[in-house]
Amino acid sequence: MIKGLPKELLDKNLITTDQFNKIDPIVSGKIISVFYELRALLYLGVMLLATGLGILIYQNIGELGHLLSIVALTLIMIACFWYVIQKGLPYSNDKVKAPTPYFDYILLLGCLLTIAIQGYLQFQYQILDDNLGLSTLLSALLFFVMAYRFDHVGILSLGITALASFWSLSISPQKWYSSDFFSMESNLQITAIVFSSVLAGIAMGLDVKSIKKHFTFTYINFSSLIYFVGATAGLFMGDYYYSYLLLIYVGCVLSFFFAKQKRSFLFLLYVFVFGYIATTYLLSDLFFDREPELWFLYSFVSCGGFIFFIIRYRNYFTRKP
Amino acid sequence: MKIAYNEIGVYNLSVLKETKRWFKHGLISAEQSESIKAAYQTSLFNPNLMIRILLFVASALGLAGVTGILVLLSMDSSENIIPWLCIFYGLGSLFFLELVFIKGNHHYKSGVNEALLYHSLGFFLGGILALEINEHFIAVIGFIVFSIAAIRYLDLICTLCAIASLCGFIFFELNEAGGWFQALIPFAFILIFIPIYFFAKRARGKQALRLWYDNLLAVEAVSLLLVYAGGNYFVVRELSVEMMNLYLEEGQDIPFAIVFYILTAVTPIAYLYSGIKKKDKVLIRVSLLLLALSAFTFKYYFSLGHPEISLTIAGAVLLLITLWLLNYLKVMRNGYTRENIMSEKWGDANVEAFVISQTLGGNQMPDRIETGGGGQFGGGGSSESF
Repeated sequence: MIKGLPKELLDKNLITTDQFNKIDPIVSGKIISVFYELRALLYLGVMLLATGLGILIYQNIGELGHLLSIVALTLIMIACFWYVIQKGLPYSNDKVKAPTPYFDYILLLGCLLTIAIQGYLQFQYQILDDNLGLSTLLSALLFFVMAYRFDHVGILSLGITALASFWSLSISPQKWYSSDFFSMESNLQITAIVFSSVLAGIAMGLDVKSIKKHFTFTYINFSSLIYFVGATAGLFMGDYYYSYLLLIYVGCVLSFFFAKQKRSFLFLLYVFVFGYIATTYLLSDLFFDREPELWFLYSFVSCGGFIFFIIRYRNYFTRKP
Repeated sequence: MKIAYNEIGVYNLSVLKETKRWFKHGLISAEQSESIKAAYQTSLFNPNLMIRILLFVASALGLAGVTGILVLLSMDSSENIIPWLCIFYGLGSLFFLELVFIKGNHHYKSGVNEALLYHSLGFFLGGILALEINEHFIAVIGFIVFSIAAIRYLDLICTLCAIASLCGFIFFELNEAGGWFQALIPFAFILIFIPIYFFAKRARGKQALRLWYDNLLAVEAVSLLLVYAGGNYFVVRELSVEMMNLYLEEGQDIPFAIVFYILTAVTPIAYLYSGIKKKDKVLIRVSLLLLALSAFTFKYYFSLGHPEISLTIAGAVLLLITLWLLNYLKVMRNGYTRENIMSEKWGDANVEAFVISQTLGGNQMPDRIETGGGGQFGGGGSSESF
């Protein structure tokens, strides 16, 4: 925020007096929006409540207080969904604006509580005995339905992660550094590549049909992460590494076109990072094993060249409004 | 001191960024946006965040290669000369940054700038450290070097490093003095950073210092945090035990314990109150974060043994308060509104969705019975939401 800016632009006749009267109180801090603060608090409240209740129902199982907590939980859940259905706007293929500022968070709380109750029922009455996979699938289904019906991209991302975890894929960047992301025997990297390709295909199909176009980014983001990490894991296993190399390059080309189409630099970042890793792996296999000094030269030349490339074509990489 | 970049260019760039937000919120028309662009031209190369990260990583890797080659070349030189080589190399790469990237190619916070700057500062300070000078001067030199870098290159990380050096200096000197001075360290922090806070706040409002707005904002927020940390019971107690070898018997407490209890409880509330009173967003945001930290501090030492009940109650209370506030602010009151009148640059639905998926445990479904679904609570919340 630049305090004197509205005045300066008014003096230069770049904005009108009406606009000045509207903008200046905001920039000078006479009007303060607590939009983000309140949203953060809502989010934190939902998170704490859902976590606390989730733990609570697994304790003291069989006692009276426990039964009460289940009933209370169910009542809150019903209240959440009742509110959402009452207030919710009709379905549309386009973006739907939430009717109230807290609508999104009440929906989120309702969904999380449903998952908690479902997990509890399963645990208590062994309904889906030994079949945790099915319950994960049910959660994913609930998330997807709610995300599409009430237009909630956060719940969509929960749905995608739940669906991925049904296939034993974990999507959390924190875990990539730990070694057990993909184990050697289970061939999870193949699952990852197939899963992400199918997901991305469906997402692009929906995008072409203009069904919830604003969901595409989240879909493609998750699929490209799973795809690239899976293919890179396959690459580092060593066997058949040429095929994984090829897969990474194909992914790079597709991501590049997506980045271009949607004007998103995040996907360009993926292209360069994973493309570089793959190429480096190839070169190290071909040349560097014999001459370790080449590493220094390589990192200098490749990165220097890369920087030069970006600067040379800088106009291409500048976002157009 | 003059900044390394073209001042008008930097100012124009910030004008363009600001008016872009106005345009996005429909406050000005597309034609006006275009004519502002024509009036405020800038030749600076300032790529967006993703490209910036990419350039930073690439530069860091490339520089690592250069360093490797130089290490191979200078293997045979004698030990005494290596610190000086480091210092000269650091200075040399700084000149390279200035001449080639800033003057030559008009880079401004491009990722390459940062990588080269930290690289050269690292070598320069590393070389000085290796000279084994008087240890009292190390933090002082760090403070001076980082301050100059922060002012000249408008760099936020250097700003934070400068503050960290200052903290290191205060802590080291008082700790060395020993005895009662050690017990005064927390109060020294409070007494030194309160004036720094007010200084930064005043300076941020000055027209002449508008180029350093973000740096002063960082100083302001960090000073508030440090004043709180100086009075926080957890911080004082754990640091006393860890760093100053304070030995506490069962039932014993740190010196002035009651003062720290009071400060832990009162500081966030005081921040929040004056933040709301003065319409100061920095104070409001910092106070919200600190309220959570204070709650954690008291919980840590006076636990009732039922984390799930505390979580549930805290969540319910927080939700109710926020819902009430949202309804209360339906109409604007004293200039406060619940509506989003000007987007923050990081406020984006896709980012929020990713945070939700990472913190609300979509990943944990298969083993939720073992973990109770609570595994990710601690790390997730406060840092990402605020």
